[in-house]
Order: sequence, then structure tokens, then C-alpha cells
Amino acid sequence: MDAVKLMKELRVNYEQEASYLPKETGLSLIESTVQGDSRISAKCRDAKVEDLWSLTSFFDYTTQTFVLAVNLLDRFLAMMRIQPKHLSCISLSCLHMAAKVTEEECNLTPTDELIRIGQCRFTVSDLCRMEKIVAEKLNFKSKAVTALTFLHLYHQITASYCTDKETLSLDKLEAQLKACLCRISFSKAKPSVLALSLLKQEVEAIQSEDMLEITHHIQRHLKQIADSELLLWGERVARCLSEYASPECSKPNHRKLQWIVSRRTAQNLHSHRTAPELPTIPEGCWDESEDDSCEDTMSSGEESLSSSLGSDAEGPYFPLRL
Amino acid sequence: MMGDRPSPPRAMSSAPTTSPSVDKVDGFSRKSVRKAKQKRSQSSSQFRSQGKPIELTPLPLLKDVPGVEQPELFLKKLQQCCTVFDFMDTLSDLKMKEYKRSTLNELVDYVTVSRGYLTEQAYPEVVKMVSQNIFRTLPPSDSNEFDPEEDEPTLEASWPHLQLVYEFFIRFLESQEFQPSIAKKYIDQKFVLQLLELFDSEDPRERDYLKTVLHRIYGKFLGLRAFIRKQINNIFLRFVYETEHFNGVAELLEILGSIINGFALPLKAEHKQFLVKVLIPLHTVRSLSLFHAQLAYCIVQFLEKDPTLTEPVIRGLLKFWPKTCSQKEVMFLGELEEILDVIEPTQFVKIQEPLFKQISRCVSSPHFQVAERALYYWNNEYIMSLIEENSSVILPIMFSSLYRISKEHWNPAIVALVYNVLKAFMEMNSTLFDELTATYKSDRQREKKKEKEREELWKKLEDLELKRGLRSDGIIPT
Repeated sequence: MDAVKLMKELRVNYEQEASYLPKETGLSLIESTVQGDSRISAKCRDAKVEDLWSLTSFFDYTTQTFVLAVNLLDRFLAMMRIQPKHLSCISLSCLHMAAKVTEEECNLTPTDELIRIGQCRFTVSDLCRMEKIVAEKLNFKSKAVTALTFLHLYHQITASYCTDKETLSLDKLEAQLKACLCRISFSKAKPSVLALSLLKQEVEAIQSEDMLEITHHIQRHLKQIADSELLLWGERVARCLSEYASPECSKPNHRKLQWIVSRRTAQNLHSHRTAPELPTIPEGCWDESEDDSCEDTMSSGEESLSSSLGSDAEGPYFPLRL
Repeated sequence: MMGDRPSPPRAMSSAPTTSPSVDKVDGFSRKSVRKAKQKRSQSSSQFRSQGKPIELTPLPLLKDVPGVEQPELFLKKLQQCCTVFDFMDTLSDLKMKEYKRSTLNELVDYVTVSRGYLTEQAYPEVVKMVSQNIFRTLPPSDSNEFDPEEDEPTLEASWPHLQLVYEFFIRFLESQEFQPSIAKKYIDQKFVLQLLELFDSEDPRERDYLKTVLHRIYGKFLGLRAFIRKQINNIFLRFVYETEHFNGVAELLEILGSIINGFALPLKAEHKQFLVKVLIPLHTVRSLSLFHAQLAYCIVQFLEKDPTLTEPVIRGLLKFWPKTCSQKEVMFLGELEEILDVIEPTQFVKIQEPLFKQISRCVSSPHFQVAERALYYWNNEYIMSLIEENSSVILPIMFSSLYRISKEHWNPAIVALVYNVLKAFMEMNSTLFDELTATYKSDRQREKKKEKEREELWKKLEDLELKRGLRSDGIIPT
């Protein structure tokens, strides 16, 4: 696509993005909720989004599916008061809905498999009903303008303007976007701004003057992106990404996964951990100097020691009676 | 008699005498229709005297006799118990057999509770009585191919007496009055050697008693310890490298477990040699399942004593890793987990690469029990913590197998477990995980592309050939 067309499309999406934003007040409410309440907390939501990412990766769904699913989820959560126990069902519905419009039919995982792998407790019909509810509330047909939309456009624009000697990795940007989306705070950002912040910090990382020029160009083109806004989100993105890239491992800390094994394997687990019946026989340093025909090479100095101790070894170390 | 079929020879073959069609299913003879064997004569319980009925003069009970006469009566009873009876003939000497049994019973109680009965003269008599009863040629097995895992063992016919003899001997050894300094004249290397041979008995009850007896002897007779260890060494080496037959491996390993547990530090070179040259090769035997629990216990005890042995042990196990026996693979995985439970982080780092390469292969095994057992490692908290510390090394090794089987494995339960493992890795090290995912996907794309190109090339060649063939009026040029 040539540059002019791209810019036009950019404008179009920019104008539409507001209608796909989750309600800010709703998001703030979630952020301020303490965990353990009867409402969804930020930690709850973040953990669930990470689960969605695991499932996306496992079933080989695209980032597009993931981003769309998160968008649907956030919009729904910001709009409705949800009990934490329903969160699984809602998030899986969003994932399935997103997959249906994004993925090819042959790659679509059936709902029962989705539920089984996700280790959820509800049924396929529960999932179907929830999908209908979400679709209805969000008036969702098939698309949404998300940060990924912008990211793709920015990437294409950059590619069309730039020479081949420097390329921006779309995969990397997508991975970084995914990392950001796992924190609810980033759902408050306008998708165009979030995507631009990501683009900017990556461009700065690879130190390309040309690309930096392009990002400025884009910013100017989308008139309402203020410098301050870009700066703010740029900082937050940077912080998030440095945590994501840190070599320190984040310990898996939420919900313990179920490990279901077959009966035979379960029987054999820990079957060796039986306490030994025979009491320990300590090896003495005076051992084996008694018998002449013994083959141990002991220094002759030990000889006198053993004879003075006697060879009885009727120690306290094992029972005199069974 | 005329016309009768000759009685089947008392050979050691298990060939049935009924018509072959009954016995063979798919060419394999069914065990269930093997005709009932005539009980083989056990030379062990062979009646040794000339065929005259045995007469023993009944002696008074020890408790009915004044204390000063008891030691002598004790000796007389011991001598009487040296008489051995034929238990193959179930009807002979019933009264005398019962007399010996009750005498033995009496002796067991006597040894347990009495004081001051053990004179110097008693020692040789006790050892003689025990030797006469237990040292014998073991009864032959029912068939050549006795499979210890499947077949019923041949039980010792004279067990009613034998059990009491063993019981008696153990109480004697454990008695407060027992003095090894006197006993060692009679319980010597020859005695021990004969004792060890008995461990090949098919009767598990006998082996259990022998285990206790040898354990006590090892504990009490310091001078015999090196000899015992050496003989056990020989038995195991013969078992592994020559015969692959010995029924008492588990019991001997149990004794060794209690010995290893008591090793002094630093470990003697002899013991380390034993670990590497005997215990590790023991893993290669076909009948491993019969003694694996005891073997694994010994190995873990060694490692708890000296963690620096971890690397040779694990490398040894990896070298002998079963390639065609899944049941054994599952056992190895169990043992490996026990070793990892006690491993030191510094040792772990030394062997993590070859170790996880093997685990990666196990995880992709089409045998679901093997895969399941290997995946279950990720449910072990300590192993998880080790993996986390070294995820940058381990994740790349495991990644492609895990990813591949998540798509390809036939067993849904395995797929669910793989999800757990991948999720754990994802949370441990997201950056690396994303990198590996991207690489894996692009590799796969490239492969797919290559395949497509190859197919197109073949198609082109096919078309070419057809065109050439059609040119000259249907005559295919050679």
C-alpha cells in the first residue's frame, strides 16, 4: 500500500478509536478495588489476561486475536459489575469470539478443548451464552480498532518510507504490546498513543534518525496527540518493558495449575519413599582390623584400638530384640 | 501297561503333553493351560537317612527342669533338632515332625527370655543345628524360564521347621548374652558364604529372614564385614554380567541400604567404586522392577552422603537409559526425581544439559506414561526452583519438544500437562519464551516453504516427463 493510502487509513482509524475504548471510570474502579472483594481487582484482571496470552500462544492464535480479546474483555469489565467467579467464563468467551473473527476456521480450537486446557469449570453451553451476552452488550460484530491496528499501520508506513537498510521488527513490537496489555493501566491509553509510544521507544533503541523523523510525522498527522501525552505513556511503556526484559524471573504466583495424571502413574508416584526397615549400621573407623583374612588395607596403628574396644560392637545402634 | 502313553519324562521342560492346538493362541502357549505340574522332589527336604522311621526320645520341657540342669537340656534339644525331616512325603513321621516343631518353638521362647543359659558349649551346637537345617541345595525351579515377575514362586516345603530355625537364630544373635568374640569361631567366612547362597531361594519368607540374619551378623561381626561386602559384590557382578538370575537382589540391597546409611565421611574409595561399578550397572538388568525401590534408595543414600557423586551417578543413569522398555523408563524417571529432590544446586548446574535433553526426549515419548511421568517433574516445587534459576539454559532445550507435542500428541491428558509446563515457562522467562516461539514459528514456516517448493519441483518434473513421453508418439524415450 502506498504511503498516501496508509495515511488516509490511519486517519480513519484514528477517528474511530474512541468508540472502542473501555470506559475510563470503569477501569479506574477496577484499579482501585482491593483483591478479595466481591468485585474484580486489577490483579485479577491482569492474571486472567496472562492466562489468555498463554492460551493464545498454546493454540497458535495470532496476536491480533489476543489483542482483540483483551479489548473486548476490558470493555465488558468496564461496563458491567462482574463477580470474580465469572471472570474465567467471560475471558474465554472473549477469546473465542476474537478467534472466530480473526482465525481461519481450520485453526479454530473447539470450545470444549478450550475449556479443558484452560482448566475451567463451566460448560460449553455456559460459554455460548456468555458469548451472546458479551456480543450484545458491546454491540460487537466483527471488528475493533485496537493498538495493534495502529501498530501495523505505523509499521507499514515506516517500511514504505524507509530504505531497506533498517527494519523494524513487527514481531518484537507485538510482543512488547502484549506485555503492556497484561497491565490494566495501559487499557486507559488511547490505542493510537500507546502504539506510537511503543514505536517511538523501539526507534530510539535502534537509533534510527530516519524512523524518528517518521514518528514525528505521524504524530503531526494525528493532530490531537499532544507531546505531553506521548511522553507520559512513553515513560510508562519504558518502565513496563524494562521489567519484561529483565533477567529476573517472575515466579509463577497465581492459581496453582491442576496436574491430572493417570491412575497408574499416580500409584507409582512416591512409592519409593518408604522408611527403611533395617536400622542403620554405622561404619566404624576401627572396622575390619579384626579378621586376619580381611582384605581391607587398614593401617596397623588401628590394631590396638580395636582390641581395646573389644569386638563386641554390641552398640546401642541396633535393637537387641526384634 | 500296553497301549498307554509313556509317562512324561521328569525333564525340566514345560512342553505340554496335550495337543498343541489347545495350548497355542496366536502361536504363544498359554500359561493357564500348562498342565499341572507334579510337585518336583525337593532335594532340600530330602530324607537323608536310610529310610527307617526317625525316633527321637521326647525330652522334658525346659521350664519343668531346675535351672542348673537347663543348659545341658538345652544342648540336648539342639542336638535333637539337627535331625532333618522329609516334607515332600506328607505322611511320614508326622509325630516326630510335630515334636521337632514344638521343640523348636520352645527353644525360640527360651532364647528370648532366659538369662545365663548361653554357655560356651552352646555356641557350636547352635551353629551346627542351624547349619544342618538351613544349608541345603535349594529346590529347583518349576521351569527353566522362571519369570520372577509373573510366576508363582516355589515355596519351601519344610517351612514349618525352617521358619522356627530362622526365628531362633535371630533371637540368639540378638540375645543380651550373645558374645561375638566367642561366636566368631563358628560363624566364620564359610558360614557366611553358605548363607549368601541361600539368598537365591525362591521363597520370599525365607529371604526375609535371611535378610535379618545377615544384617545382624554384619552389625555384630566387624571382622566379617569386608568379606560380606566383597561377596555381595561378586553376587551382583555375576548377576549383572553373567546370569541375570538371582532371587535375593532386593534383600541384599536392603541390607546395603542400612550399611550405606552408616558410612563414615569421607567415603572410602572402595565404596565409591562399588557405586559406580556395581550399583549403576545393576540398572541394566531386565528384572529391575523387582528391586528398583531398594536400588534407588541406595543410590539416594550415597548422594546424601557425598553430593560430589551426583555427576557420575546421573551420567551413569543417562548412559544406561532404557531405549526399548517403557516400564523401565518410568522407573528411571522416578529414581531421577528422587535424586533431584536431594540434589545441590551447584551439582544440578553441572548436569542440567544432558539431563534435560533426556527429559525432553521422554516428554515427547509416544508412550503416554513415560511422557506423563516426565511432565510431572514440573509439579515438584524444588525441581521447579532449580529450573527457574537456570531457565535460560533449560528452556531452549525443552522448548521445541514441548511445543511440538502440544500440537501432535495423541493423548489429550498429555496435551493438558504440556500446557501447564509451557505456562510455567512463560511466566518464568517471558522474553526468552517469546524469542523461542518466534524462532520456532519462523523455522516451521521455512520448512513448510521448502516442502512446498519440493513438491512443486516434483510436479514440474512429472509434467516434463509426460511431455517428453508424448512427443514421440507414445514411445517413451529411454
